[in-house]
Amino acid sequence: MDDELQALEAELSRLRPLAPSPELSARVGRELGPRGRLIPLWSWIALPTAAAAAAALIILGARPASGAAPAAAFKPVSAQQVLLSASDEGYVQLGDGTPAHRFRASYVDTITWEDPQSHASLRWSVPRDEVRVIPASFQ
Amino acid sequence: MEEAPDHECWREWFERHGPGLLLYARQCTRSLADAEDVVQEAFVRYWRNQRKLGGEPLGLLFTSVRRAAVDLARRDGRREVRETQSEGPPDESGRVFEAPLEGEDRRIAIESALRRLPDEQREVLALKIWGGLTFDGIGEQLGLSPNTAASRYRYALDALRRELPVVTCHG
Repeated sequence: MDDELQALEAELSRLRPLAPSPELSARVGRELGPRGRLIPLWSWIALPTAAAAAAALIILGARPASGAAPAAAFKPVSAQQVLLSASDEGYVQLGDGTPAHRFRASYVDTITWEDPQSHASLRWSVPRDEVRVIPASFQ
Repeated sequence: MEEAPDHECWREWFERHGPGLLLYARQCTRSLADAEDVVQEAFVRYWRNQRKLGGEPLGLLFTSVRRAAVDLARRDGRREVRETQSEGPPDESGRVFEAPLEGEDRRIAIESALRRLPDEQREVLALKIWGGLTFDGIGEQLGLSPNTAASRYRYALDALRRELPVVTCHG
């Protein structure tokens, strides 16, 4: 490459691209920050269960030494809901004699917590049956 | 090769590489707003899912930006078809560099010349100079041989030299 091209290359290299706006940094921060990783749908179950898990860790791992990471540092980082099966169980009769349609779905819910400091993780999976009974309408 | 980040230091990474990522995204999108959306999506996707995959982190980040830009273009394409109405030409007014020592006129001239480069040359130039990738890395990123990447880079510099007046140094 001749001198003129090298000079041009050097000039281009000295140009500094504009930094992302503070708004863009804030948007990324909202997604990657601690609060952004909570999943609202599950927060009602994640928080108490995390507290229970933390308590279990304290009880199971209780040591007189002070080396253990604070259990309260675990934060929920993901929640998955896997549908295993779904079935239409047909018509049933409610207590007052009203006909209703009953559907059953089986899921496995998995929630994962992670300690951002130590990267220790905790995964909790539980099977769940969801039964929906919908009053039938014959029109 | 830069080491993969292994702890919660995204902000430091974003400050260091954000300008290069945004500049690259500007080459692949129609407006600054689109470029910011692409960088946000790509960086979050990389930080959450890809940074522990191994490989060259900066290359993965630029790949993530490129994919996010392609996804956005596809979505835009579908929207334009639905609306049967163009949104107008790409945004050509926004600046992409800080003011250089050579002055604002020079910055404007360089940005204008860059916009006139063929897309494939401008993309290679941005990845090499402001993204800090090697020709091997650029080739991997764009699915080219390193020699083709180097050729496009050279063509881009030649074209810029023809368009830009030579800056003479005094003193």
